[in-house]
Amino acid sequence: MTSETAQAEAEPQAATDIVPPLLRMSNVEVAYDKVFLAIKGVSLELNTGGMVALLGSNGAGKSTTLKTISGLLAPERGAVNRGSVELRGRDILPLPPPARVHLGIVHVLEGRHVFGHLTPDENLLAAFPTRGRRERLDELREQVYTYFPRLRERSRTKAGYLSGGEQQMLAIGRALMTEPNLLMLDEPSLGLAPMLVEEIFGIIREINKQQDVGILLVEQNAAAALEIVSDAYLLENGHVVMSGKADVLKQNPDVQEFYLGGTGKVDYHNVKHYRRRKRWLA
Amino acid sequence: MDIAYFIELLINGALTGMMYGLAALGIVLIYKSSGVPNLAQGAMVMLGAYFAWIAAAQWGIPLPFAIALAVVGMFLFGLFTERFLLRRMVGQPIIMIVMLTLGLEILLRGLGPGLFGAAPKSLDIGIGLAPIIIGDVFINRSYLVGAIVGVIMIGLALLFFRTRLGTKLRAVSDDHVASWSVGISVERAIAISWGLAGASAVAAGVMWGSVQGIDWTLSLLLFPAVAVVILGGLDSIYGVLVAGLIVGILGSVIPGYVDPIVGGGTRDVVTSLIILLTIIFRPHGIFGREDIERV
Ligand SMILES: Nc1ncnc2c1ncn2[C@@H]1O[C@H](COP(=O)(O)OP(=O)(O)OP(=O)(O)O)[C@@H](O)[C@H]1O
Ligand SMILES: [Mg+2]
Repeated sequence: MTSETAQAEAEPQAATDIVPPLLRMSNVEVAYDKVFLAIKGVSLELNTGGMVALLGSNGAGKSTTLKTISGLLAPERGAVNRGSVELRGRDILPLPPPARVHLGIVHVLEGRHVFGHLTPDENLLAAFPTRGRRERLDELREQVYTYFPRLRERSRTKAGYLSGGEQQMLAIGRALMTEPNLLMLDEPSLGLAPMLVEEIFGIIREINKQQDVGILLVEQNAAAALEIVSDAYLLENGHVVMSGKADVLKQNPDVQEFYLGGTGKVDYHNVKHYRRRKRWLA
Repeated sequence: MDIAYFIELLINGALTGMMYGLAALGIVLIYKSSGVPNLAQGAMVMLGAYFAWIAAAQWGIPLPFAIALAVVGMFLFGLFTERFLLRRMVGQPIIMIVMLTLGLEILLRGLGPGLFGAAPKSLDIGIGLAPIIIGDVFINRSYLVGAIVGVIMIGLALLFFRTRLGTKLRAVSDDHVASWSVGISVERAIAISWGLAGASAVAAGVMWGSVQGIDWTLSLLLFPAVAVVILGGLDSIYGVLVAGLIVGILGSVIPGYVDPIVGGGTRDVVTSLIILLTIIFRPHGIFGREDIERV
């Protein structure tokens, strides 16, 4: 695996030309209830083991984009009008959500959605394939508890009683039980204290490095996200309005003004304000 | 007051209650995974009994195999019901889904006698009629065996929900979208719970059928079964055990003293009161879960 990555780094052009990217979304349009267009021709790409952020304000279409990839539009009466989504060159749009998980796509939902009446241990078990080997289950569970030691301490409490941060950790850990190639995270920083955001983002980066998992990170907390990703897409009103290297985007004056609160640092006042807005919307 | 009479009412009530539990189990299995209160469970118990009777009495298959065959048949019946009736209803208001199960109950009640003849069929499972006598207390042997089967089935259900598959079913009952997001097939989980409800209906149908004969009246077990699940909590297996005992005992002891005075019919009144009072004073039942409030 290491040699593969090294090679990809050495000849990035050649590698992307021959091997299709991990994820390629082309010109996708999605409507809810057949009429409301939530995304209008979104295209994006993510390479194996890459780490990309999808940024944008409320209602920009970030969650819709992730649901399109994981297949979770249908329960909300959403449907893809046009465009394609490919995983390593394979069209995944016809597949139901569990089949996509089987192919290695996992979606950590906005608002965590842990199984509240199950313990963390059981949450992890529920996400593990029924036919998987016992030893693999134990390995994966051990791995999750190594990333998130706090969960181990609370492994027998009902997940509904965990703190917001712990629930977020559990949601990420639960996703790892499916052994993904593509981990999609929808606003993991939502409602968390800045220290905790830093901790969780650190772990996300570690997961990306150690397991060669491609990560698609949806965030409103652009400052924190741009610190850990290599590339980012900016979504407004269902359109990709800007994309590129994280370093370059960070220097862009518009990005600084609208997403980074005028400085390159996390603006805690804004974070709070945004949380309040979220609550209104919920 | 005659203490032996009281103890007899108590014990036979408890045993009956466990047999109610047998009928109630299927309702809980389905509710736990899909949130649908299945009002067709009474007819499924009746159908389970008919299946076992056909295999044993009509086809001459030895009883254990006949029952096994009925279990397979009812498992499939549950799967098909989910696949072709319930799955169409996804996204519909719950009241429509409840009406659908009620419609199915009524349809099957009519269909059962139509297909198999109205006369009650007898199913001898070799328990014998002689009561067990301890001191002055007479215990109904069939009820005793039925209660043991009930306790075993409840135990199996508890164990099942600790397995991988059972854990996934509980996950599905918590959150459908989250289940899909980690690769659990919600549709399959719900189908399996219907299959298991069908299978458990055979146990109830055979035990009750051996006691009172097999005809459409077996489906009337829906009523005490609903009382059990409402009192115990729609999603609680423990609830089936405890509420089964309570419904059974109250439904035996109270009529035991009141019926001679008023001339009968008290049991249904007791059962109805249990349903009404629980809904008014403790809508989630004894063990039913209330939603966890934690932000
Ligand atoms: N289930 C739904 N039915 C109808 N419209 C929806 C639904 N979900 C989202 N929308 C609409 O689609 C648009 C995009 O929503 P989406 O949830 O993708 O935004 P988002 O970028 O994730 O926003 P946020 O940061 O608030 O989570 C919004 O205008 C929203 O109102
Ligand atoms: Mg969103």
